[in-house]
Amino acid sequence: MHLSYRWLQRHVDLAGISPEDVRTNLTLSTCEVEGLARFAPALSDVTVGFVAERAAHPDSDHLSICKVDVGAGELVQIVCGAPNVARGQKVAVATIGTTLGADFKIKKSKIRGQESCGMICSERELGLGDEHNGIWVLPDETPIGKRVADALDLVDWVIEIDNKSVTHRPDLWGHRGMAAELAAIFQRPLKALDTSLPRTGDWRPWEVRVETDDCPRYLALPIDGVRAERSPEWLRRLLLAVGQRPIDLLVDVSNFVMLDLGQPNHLFDRTRLAGRPIVVRKARPGERMQTLDAVERKLETDDLLICAGEQPVALAGIMGGEESKVAVETRELLLEVASFQPAVVRRTSARLGLRTDASARFEKNLSPTLALDAAGHLVRLLSAIQPDLVLPAPLADAGRWKDPARTVRVRPDIVRKRLGAPIADGEIVGILTRLGFGVTSSHGGLDVAVPSVRATKDISLEQDLVEEVGRIFRYGNVPEHRLEGSLAAPPVDRRRALVRKVEDRLAGVGRFRQTIGYSFVADALLAKLGLAELPHCAVINPVAEGLTRIRRAVAPSLLATVEHNRRHAKEVRLFELGKGYRPECAAQNGEPAEVHELVLLVAREPAAANARFDDNALAALRGAIDDLCFGLRLEAPAFAKVEHVDGAPYLHPGKTLAIRLGEHELGWLAALDPRVERELGLVGEQKSDVALATLFLDALLAAPVREKIYRPMPRFPGVKLDVALALPAAVAAEDVRVAIERAAKGLAGAIELFDVYTGPNVGPGRKSLAYHVHLESDERTLTDQDAQKFLQRVERAATELGGDLRKA
Amino acid sequence: MTETLESLFEPIRARIAAAESQESAEDVLRQVERETLDKGGVVAALLAAIPTLPGPERPLAGKRANELKGAITLALAEARERLATRAMERERAGSGFDATLPGQRAARGGLHPLVAVTRELEDLFTSMGYVVLDGPEIETDYHNFEALNIPRDHPARDMQDTFRLDPEGKLVLRTHTSAVQARGLKRLAEEVRAGRFAPPFRAIVPGKVFRQETTDASHEHTFHQMEGLVVGKDISVGHLIGAMKTLLRGVFGREIEIRLRPGYFPFVEPGFELDARCPFCKEGCSVCKRSTWIELLPCGLVHPNVLKECGLDPEEWSGFAFGLGLSRLVMLRYGIDDVRLLLSGDLRFLEQF
Repeated sequence: MHLSYRWLQRHVDLAGISPEDVRTNLTLSTCEVEGLARFAPALSDVTVGFVAERAAHPDSDHLSICKVDVGAGELVQIVCGAPNVARGQKVAVATIGTTLGADFKIKKSKIRGQESCGMICSERELGLGDEHNGIWVLPDETPIGKRVADALDLVDWVIEIDNKSVTHRPDLWGHRGMAAELAAIFQRPLKALDTSLPRTGDWRPWEVRVETDDCPRYLALPIDGVRAERSPEWLRRLLLAVGQRPIDLLVDVSNFVMLDLGQPNHLFDRTRLAGRPIVVRKARPGERMQTLDAVERKLETDDLLICAGEQPVALAGIMGGEESKVAVETRELLLEVASFQPAVVRRTSARLGLRTDASARFEKNLSPTLALDAAGHLVRLLSAIQPDLVLPAPLADAGRWKDPARTVRVRPDIVRKRLGAPIADGEIVGILTRLGFGVTSSHGGLDVAVPSVRATKDISLEQDLVEEVGRIFRYGNVPEHRLEGSLAAPPVDRRRALVRKVEDRLAGVGRFRQTIGYSFVADALLAKLGLAELPHCAVINPVAEGLTRIRRAVAPSLLATVEHNRRHAKEVRLFELGKGYRPECAAQNGEPAEVHELVLLVAREPAAANARFDDNALAALRGAIDDLCFGLRLEAPAFAKVEHVDGAPYLHPGKTLAIRLGEHELGWLAALDPRVERELGLVGEQKSDVALATLFLDALLAAPVREKIYRPMPRFPGVKLDVALALPAAVAAEDVRVAIERAAKGLAGAIELFDVYTGPNVGPGRKSLAYHVHLESDERTLTDQDAQKFLQRVERAATELGGDLRKA
Repeated sequence: MTETLESLFEPIRARIAAAESQESAEDVLRQVERETLDKGGVVAALLAAIPTLPGPERPLAGKRANELKGAITLALAEARERLATRAMERERAGSGFDATLPGQRAARGGLHPLVAVTRELEDLFTSMGYVVLDGPEIETDYHNFEALNIPRDHPARDMQDTFRLDPEGKLVLRTHTSAVQARGLKRLAEEVRAGRFAPPFRAIVPGKVFRQETTDASHEHTFHQMEGLVVGKDISVGHLIGAMKTLLRGVFGREIEIRLRPGYFPFVEPGFELDARCPFCKEGCSVCKRSTWIELLPCGLVHPNVLKECGLDPEEWSGFAFGLGLSRLVMLRYGIDDVRLLLSGDLRFLEQF
């Protein structure tokens, strides 16, 4: 919404208060000001000139050569193309160096061989409307050489208000309301405004039937003897300043009243109504009407209509009808000023996508009392311009409306307590009075009479008046306070502590980058991962097609980034802590079940053929999970091969592991299905070895923490030796480790697998596993004899496993 | 027996001395050692010759051989010590060291910048006794709107373009972390009834929120906020100002001037926009759009209707709430010019933190 500084001055004296002051003070006390700009800035740069001579251009039949006096002594030659330029006119001249609009700088030029030192401007070129039939001819008495803006007193400023910041203030949707704020802030009186209706004739009032509760008040007033002529300049300028295009006096006055008082109104061409009564009713099923923007509207039964008899003539509170709108030949009007149910106007205008200045105001809940003021204001403005105006009939006032004015009890102590500022009773009363509230003291409190225009919405509670006092008192004057309370230890937040430990461990020794993904998952990705058929929560108004669904699990979000990241990185290590939603397990109120997951992903260049057994993504991730559990002081997790994981069909069917901690199901770890790798574009340069894991945060939280217990260092030297076993390929490494441990008879300090070999040295169908083994005892120094006995037992174990001990 | 100890030792001493200046000094010393002290060496030959000597000469010859052995051993040790010292001094001189060679490349992990900043704020607030609350991303209309004094058909619903999960809008993607207010306040009301509550109640709620809007460098449909909520006896605007100043001191590490101006949010009364004096300039810059103020967060006193809805008597309790734009704060902190990077999962972005 735009406000004109000059317009505000119609209601309050702003002498000594600059537009910048207005901006700052509205910002600090009332609403958000988005901008402050000069109205028609070009006006301040152009000069009043006098066309001293005019001659036809020798080489053109439409150009004139003018000698113009701009008060600089010598006459200036200007070539002008306007048909209406004539000797003896006062005109607006943009001299050399003047900038019009954003980047149109006037330069000395030659037009068809004739020198031209400036431009004689039209109103449109100066931002004064869209008249472009010729140059702007100024009144004869305009003084030559002065700036046009000063000479014609056209200086104005446009203040732009953020509409959202006045959503709750229907009274601020017009200049008078804003002026009242300034009056309260600057402690100046609000100028009186006579809105009483002039004398009316003795016809019968226009018949109005309100058939719905959604129209609390409907005023109808016939007006005769008007003409749709050009509005006076002051009216046109004010409308232009706030971005409203002047049309003709009737339309302009109607708009002016809306922008002045905030009350929309409508003028019907009365002859079009043909004597039929105004009926306010809900639309009927399948009903249609053409609004005055010439669009045919399909109506629904919730829409509110203004009808002439049976025929819809306006979409209540939003837009008038095409048929009955005022036109050039209109002489007889019916003025409508009404109040409508805000929700009804809002729903219809939202459904039709038809937001108008009127609907924006009705949505905010206007006071029914404002309607009468607006009717009187409009008639008085119009009759001042067209004195022939007559009101043949008294005002029709229909509807069951109630004055929303009310009294709210305010305790000054509560005002001080809520604001935390020592404001004296007298100051509280003073501020409220300046804001237009009626204040009476009684029984140690204040009875505050809330005027109708403030009572529809904004002010109903004591706390609402605390705000009124606070904003005029200024929050900047409130001293800073510290919270006080008992020093109880805050509750232990185990989940958050766990999350932090997980993050630190993974981002630290784990060398993972944390990421945060969107909750939305694209249909295209779900299809690639084979998840399209699973139930997903979905929005019905997505930002893009195919982006409706909310993830059930976090893993797809990470998979979505792999291809892009592998373009730039040889190794991708990511983790995310996030939420997924499962609609099939919804609570009673429909809320879907929420899962908190930790997802890790490693994607890297495929390992070389001769790479070590643990030089791959799956082993890297497995090691990271081992380390994470160690860092979280959990037991070492167990990994068990499983056929598949529910809800994750994108995993490698032969390389999927369940992760368990005792009886706790912690999650899963798997390589990515090679088919899915291809789907995700991980081919060619981006061919990748991908593994991912999901751990359930709730399971991690439930897993028992084992505090670490110190074990004394060995007192006796041990024996270090390496053993290598050649075994059938099917033997699991874990079985071999157990066999070695058993062979050590409790003396095994550490058993570390360091090589897995298949190849000609062990023969087909066989593999070699090599271990570093450290034997040690708490009781004695171990000898070579102990080592020999151990090797003999390992050899027997190897035989039992179908293989043999390889001799070095 | 014509050779004296000196005549025997001198050539050996000379060889040792010469060795010290040679490239392969240690090899030469080893050679000297073998030829003199080892089996079949000079000293062994002298000792072996003793039985062939006349009786009276034998003790002297023995003594001479032993003295020679001692002299050679000492000379070798001294030579080696000198060599070692020289080598150490050469190393200490540092010649040939390239000070510009890079260090070993350590692979790094890291926290997401949103998490890093959230943690700072959590630490700041938990140090003042705030608890950290969590709430669902998919919310009921009740928690997101109704309980917050935003009934259906309220124009304030326009202020937040809402993703709906069903035509009736029973479930929505939460448009603000304020949605957790009602959950927190209801739990608080229970504690009050059970007599377990020691005021003031202090909570923050960091989390993901959603708005149905077209994305560009400064708009995202998914972003992060942090709600703050304090409820107690006689909590005032002054307390809110105090908390906000503390917050800014924590975020920027110094005193930052603030101003509160009226702002409309249905769940607070009075409601404010809090502006902070632009920490990046004095005369106006692109960050503050030349105004020297940065609109930082909406806040206000908890609306009595919200307290009442959650079972708390507004006569007895009052509170304040604020909603910090975490994504925006992270962008300000690190100079990030495109909000979409935050949730991109792009390693080239993540690796910078």
